[in-house]
Amino acid sequence: MPNGASSSTAAVWAILRKECRSEWRTRYGLNAALLFAVTSLTAVSFASGRLGNRTDIMAGLFWIVLLFATLTSMSHAFVREVEGRTMLTLRLVASPTEIATGKLLFNLLFLGVVELVLVPLFMILMGAPPPEWGRFLALLALGTVSLAASSTLVGAVIAQTRGRGALFAGVSLPLLLPVLAAAVGGTREMWAGHSVASSLRLLAAYAVALLAASLLLYDHLWED
Amino acid sequence: MSATAVAQQVRIAGEALSHRYGARRALQTLAFDVASPGVVAVTGPNGSGKSTLLRIVIGLLRPTEGTTRFEHGGRAIEPPRRRLHAGLATPELSFYEEFSAAENLRFAAETHGLTDAPASVRTALDAVGLTPRADDRVAAFSSGMKQRLRLAFAILHRPAVLMLDEPGSHLDDAGRAVVERLVSGYSAHGLVLIATNDPQEMALAERRIELHGRGLGDPA
Repeated sequence: MPNGASSSTAAVWAILRKECRSEWRTRYGLNAALLFAVTSLTAVSFASGRLGNRTDIMAGLFWIVLLFATLTSMSHAFVREVEGRTMLTLRLVASPTEIATGKLLFNLLFLGVVELVLVPLFMILMGAPPPEWGRFLALLALGTVSLAASSTLVGAVIAQTRGRGALFAGVSLPLLLPVLAAAVGGTREMWAGHSVASSLRLLAAYAVALLAASLLLYDHLWED
Repeated sequence: MSATAVAQQVRIAGEALSHRYGARRALQTLAFDVASPGVVAVTGPNGSGKSTLLRIVIGLLRPTEGTTRFEHGGRAIEPPRRRLHAGLATPELSFYEEFSAAENLRFAAETHGLTDAPASVRTALDAVGLTPRADDRVAAFSSGMKQRLRLAFAILHRPAVLMLDEPGSHLDDAGRAVVERLVSGYSAHGLVLIATNDPQEMALAERRIELHGRGLGDPA
């Protein structure tokens, strides 16, 4: 029987691959996310034209589109298991921490794929000035980790509760607001040519805190 | 898990065990002590806690009162790791409908960290007679085929303890013969717990844990 870290790594890797294969076959989240990103940016583009020098509005718009395009799919990672009645199967083959880590890695990958489409689309449709790529990618990476960690954690917490919708909004708000505030503020400062160090520090601290809290909590989430 | 591991003795004991779902008592106070090799039937009226007992033993459920002890090869196994030493087939077990039977088992084998996942999957599918439908998606499976897949899932990692909750449900005569073969094969070295009220399945067991709840969840 396999033991220890190697079996945990194998379990996390197997869950990540299962999530990818399932998404590829069902297109549960990706189609909806890309549809939202493309239609919302196209609609804004038709309504206001290219925003050009309004980098403050563009910073907010970019993160709002990314958040709403991906949030539903990411937070439903566990709800799909409960509604498909496969949660018991998962719990019999992996520990809660392994399950949640596999799902977190999938959410990171999912965000990365959406960003690959969203970033160039946003630049073209909004007429955004070229970002300072180093700082922009640092903000994007830390924002992505924080968004994925918070939505995975909230998804795991609400998955087996009644009234998931109401709970999701209530639990997500305090977790997501600091991430959005730091990411939007940092992106705005980046386009204005100012320092983004404080935003990066805040996002990094938040990402570390969320990941640490998640690892401590996951093993106790589904104890009946 | 190696053949040696399966052959190592298993002992499962419960002391002053009971469980409630909210105000409803699902499992009346119970004490038991069983060891391998052999087959033990868990019997009792609907709602007396048969499925609850299996879930407690495998570590999915923490009892409201009392304790369980699970030993394998003389070592105490803590609840979070018992799923590695026990396999559970229960009607509540569902599979990913967008995957085939073989893909579902392959995922389970890889998650368990089995070194030769494809061979384990082939062996398990063969044991329950699902090899001809291995590549069909589970969405197209009948209830009986899903039940066979649950049995394959339970034996996939060759656990020392096989837990079967109403194993004959949805199965035809050939399927019931599969259950008998599995139970007979395991009982030589391992321990089989069968939660059932079916006289044919009870006859497979040489020992019995009788649950005396009033059934349908005791409100007391």
